[in-house]
Amino acid sequence: MIAVEGVVKRFGAHTVLGGVSLTVAPGEVVTILGSSGSGKSTLIRCINGLETLDGGRVTVDGLDVADPRQLAQARRLSATVFQLFNLYPHMTVLRNITLAPELVLRRPKNEVEAQARALLASVGLAGKADSYPGQLSGGQRQRVGICRALAMNPRYLLLDEVTSALDPEMTAEVLAILARLATQGTTMLFVTHEVEFARRISTRIVFLDQGRLIVDLPTDQFFAADGGLAHPRIRQFLSKMAPSSTVAGAPVSEILA
Amino acid sequence: MPFDLTVLTPHLDTLLAGALLTAGVCALGIAAAFALATALGVLAVGGGWAGRLARLYVDVFRNVPFVVQVFFLFYGLPEVGVYIDAFWTGVLALGLVGGAYGSDVVRSGILAIEPGVVEAAKVGGLSRPAIIRRIVLPIALRTAIRPLGSVFVNLVLSSSILSMITLDEVTGTARGVASETYRPFEVYAFLLAAYAGLTYAVSLGIDALHRRLNRHMADNGAARGAAPGAMEGTA
Ligand SMILES: Nc1ncnc2c1ncn2[C@@H]1O[C@H](COP(=O)(O)OP(=O)(O)OP(=O)(O)O)[C@@H](O)[C@H]1O
Ligand SMILES: [Mg+2]
Repeated sequence: MIAVEGVVKRFGAHTVLGGVSLTVAPGEVVTILGSSGSGKSTLIRCINGLETLDGGRVTVDGLDVADPRQLAQARRLSATVFQLFNLYPHMTVLRNITLAPELVLRRPKNEVEAQARALLASVGLAGKADSYPGQLSGGQRQRVGICRALAMNPRYLLLDEVTSALDPEMTAEVLAILARLATQGTTMLFVTHEVEFARRISTRIVFLDQGRLIVDLPTDQFFAADGGLAHPRIRQFLSKMAPSSTVAGAPVSEILA
Repeated sequence: MPFDLTVLTPHLDTLLAGALLTAGVCALGIAAAFALATALGVLAVGGGWAGRLARLYVDVFRNVPFVVQVFFLFYGLPEVGVYIDAFWTGVLALGLVGGAYGSDVVRSGILAIEPGVVEAAKVGGLSRPAIIRRIVLPIALRTAIRPLGSVFVNLVLSSSILSMITLDEVTGTARGVASETYRPFEVYAFLLAAYAGLTYAVSLGIDALHRRLNRHMADNGAARGAAPGAMEGTA
C-alpha cells in the first residue's frame, strides 16, 4: 500500500502541499484531479522520492521514502511514467527498458530482454527495439516509457499527465494501453486531465485544490450530484475541462447535466 | 641555401625519437586530463565542499602559467622530497592543466542535460555511480567531446614547454638539431609537420568518439537546440 500521511511540501515560502493524506491499496486505480498548480506533480514526486518532505510521511509497503535505504527498496516497488517521457536519449529503446531491471533488480539479461520485447510487442512497437528515442514519435516514446516502467514489474505505477504532451491520436494510443493495464488489475496512481478516461478506469478519484485534498471518493460517488459534484470547486473544474474531454467515454456535459 | 630535406637524414632518428616522446607524453597526458576532467566536472556540478574544492582547483590551475606549474613540479617538489622524472612530470603537468580546462567543458555538458532524464534513472532505482557512468557522462560527453578535443589539441601544443625541464621532446630536439646543422628552415619545417600530424591525430580520435557518442539522433538529452539531423551519426 502507498500511504501518504499529512504530507507538507514547501518551495521557499510557498506551501505547495499543505498536509495531504492519501492511500493507494493494491488493485486500486486512483486518479488525482486538480487544476494547474494545485500540487499534483509535486505529490507524485513526494511519493517516488524526487522531492524531500517538509512534513508528514510517505510509505510504500511500509518503507519510508524519507530514509535513503528504504527509498532504494521502495523504488523497486513502484515505477513512474513521466509527462515528457524522459527516455535515455543515448540508449536504444530496448536498452531503455532493460537497464534498471538488469542493474537494479539484477535479473539475467536474456530474461529481461525477452520481457522487454514482449512488452514492446504488446504496445505495438515490436519493430522498434533497436531504434533510438529520437527516432520515435511522441506517442511511441510514451509507449516505450510505459514499457520501461512495466519492466520493473512494479506493484505500483505512478503516472503524471502521461498524455498531455501528445496529440489526440497519440493520446488515444496511450490511453488504450493504460485502460488495458487497469483491467488487468495493475495498481495505478494517475494524474490526468482526461476526466472521461479517469472516470472510466478509476476505482477512486481524489481532488487536489491548492495543496489540499478536498475530496476522496469512489468514482461513481465523485461524479454524483450529492458527492463530488456537490463541491463548487469540483463543479467549476469539471465544467472547464468539458470542451477538450472527448477522447474516451461520455462527454462531461452529460455528467454535469 | 635551397630547401633540402636530405640534410635532416643524419638526424632523422633523433628527431623521430623526439616526436615519439612528444606523442607518448601527450597521449598519457591527454588520458590523465580526460579522467581528471570527467571527475572534476562531475564534482563541480554538485554543491557541498567537494564541489567547491573542484571549482577552486579549476580556478587555480587555469590562472597559473603552464610553465610555472611545470617548474614547480620539476624543480619545486624535490625540495620537499618528491622526485618525479621529466617524462612523468610532463604527463602529470599536462593532466593537471588539461583536467582543469576540460572539467569546465564537462560541467557545462552535464548542466545541459534534461533533468527529467536523470530523474527517470533515479526513480528506476539506479545508484549514484551508475547514474553518473551510464546516464550523465555519456549524455554530457556527446556535446562536450568536441570542446574537449580543443583542450587536448592545446595540450599537444603546450607540451613543447616540456623541453625546459630536460625532456627530449620534439621541440627541444629540433632546436638542438637546428643549431648543429645551421638548417633551421628544414628542421622547423619538420617540427611544423610533426605538430600538425600529432594534432591531426587527436582530431581524428575526437571525431571518432564524437560519432560514436552521437550515433543516434539528438533528442531530449543534452543536445537540444542542435539543427535537426545535425547530430545524426554515421557509425
Ligand atoms: N521546484 C520547484 N520550485 C519552486 N516551485 C515549484 C517547484 N515545483 C513546483 N513548484 C510550484 O508548486 C506548485 C505546484 O506545482 P505542481 O507541478 O505540483 O502542480 P500541478 O498540479 O502538477 O500542475 P499542472 O497541472 O500544471 O501540472 C506550483 O505553484 C509550482 O509553481
Ligand atoms: Mg503537473
